[in-house]
Amino acid sequence: MKRFAFFPGCLIPARHPAMEFAIRATLPKLDIELVDLEGASCCPDPIYFKSKDKLSWLAVAARNLCLAEDLGVDLVTNCSGCTATLSETYHLLADEPELKDQVNERLAKIGKTYKGTSKVRHIATVVRDEAGYEKIRNSVTHPLMGLKVAIHYGCHLLKPSRIMNVDNPDDPSVLENLIRALGADPVRHRNWYLCCGKACQNEDIPNNMMHDLLGSVHDEEADILGMICPTCFGQFDHGQKKIAKIFDEDFHTPAVYYFQLLALAQGIPYDQLGFQKQRFKPTVLQQFDETAAPSPA
Amino acid sequence: MSKRHDENDIVRVDFSFKRELAETVEGDLANFCYQCGACVGDCPATTYSEAFNPREIMLKVLYGLEDELLGSESVIWECTNCYACHERCPQQVKPVEIIISLKNMLAARGDAPDAVNKVIHTFETTGRTVPYSPAIDKQRAKFDLPPLGEVPMDEIRALLEPVVEGDAP
Repeated sequence: MKRFAFFPGCLIPARHPAMEFAIRATLPKLDIELVDLEGASCCPDPIYFKSKDKLSWLAVAARNLCLAEDLGVDLVTNCSGCTATLSETYHLLADEPELKDQVNERLAKIGKTYKGTSKVRHIATVVRDEAGYEKIRNSVTHPLMGLKVAIHYGCHLLKPSRIMNVDNPDDPSVLENLIRALGADPVRHRNWYLCCGKACQNEDIPNNMMHDLLGSVHDEEADILGMICPTCFGQFDHGQKKIAKIFDEDFHTPAVYYFQLLALAQGIPYDQLGFQKQRFKPTVLQQFDETAAPSPA
Repeated sequence: MSKRHDENDIVRVDFSFKRELAETVEGDLANFCYQCGACVGDCPATTYSEAFNPREIMLKVLYGLEDELLGSESVIWECTNCYACHERCPQQVKPVEIIISLKNMLAARGDAPDAVNKVIHTFETTGRTVPYSPAIDKQRAKFDLPPLGEVPMDEIRALLEPVVEGDAP
């Protein structure tokens, strides 16, 4: 068992507990152990609070990293925004000793020192690098045969690549391979690289962007849109209703977080995975409750 | 007839604005921009908004055009924070970081948009960006998940305050 400090962030535990449930249910089957971080705060978010004051943002992020350092383990994130904040903090404080000193002056007020000993790992890379695609495939009891999953990487999983160190941002493969490991078929639609637009404060930009993206997913006849970030998920679940209304076009492409798909493929029934709370329910997944693969002789 | 340029045709660089920007974390990187435009092609905000162009924002930063960057017509909040410009910039200027530094300057002037201030306020008072409610723990219990943990707000508040002389080491 490889151990990681689990940094669930704000959105998943508060708004999407089904995603947290799926993570906690699936990782032990891949020999990955999550240790909870007591007293963790918001990462803080790389959009709003970072806009207020970058130095305070770094100080709070460094405090969260200190919690993992105290446990002597690397930290795993399940949200691309948390990954952005914490990875950027890790790298910036490694590159800029003066900034690290400034952050540590603040941390001294609460009796902490940031050392830079715990790395930040996005959960997609943890399952890829620590378990591997083969082990994921072997954990699947209900392969998602024939399911077409459009891939949405979002932005902060990949970029900036010299900080994220996840994959080639111009031609990534990690999500495609993770989807294939479940027996499903990944689809790279023509707008795969687009952003979800959540951070933008001018609504027209994300509306038009989501409309184009959902259109290209629809053209590929994908069954669902596979997500790895809860912020993108919110945009494409809640936001898809808005897009349908504004453009009078109903693409009806349910968004699904990867670890809920993994849970389904590992045999957790559809009804236990919280899909009924989504605006666009991925009912196409219900068929897989019945399609257990014959166990190997 | 004088050969001197009309004074009004000359852009005067506002150094005080640039010095203030350089005080923010990574705000000093702006000076390395050589206006190549690598940041433009992949920018989703540019694709969907005629007003937004990261190269133009960087040019205004180089000149220190405070009114255009921080005034009421500013387009910086159209940035989608996608980090494509950070990825592309051959000078490692990190245009998105410069834009966030400009937002830091707006926040210091009390001029951030209400929607942004609302999330900031939620974080500063609760340590989270999604405010706690008992309904959250009720939903979590349905998945056998424990209630949300406490955030030690005394620690968070201490970190948000600048260090002042006399703070205990």
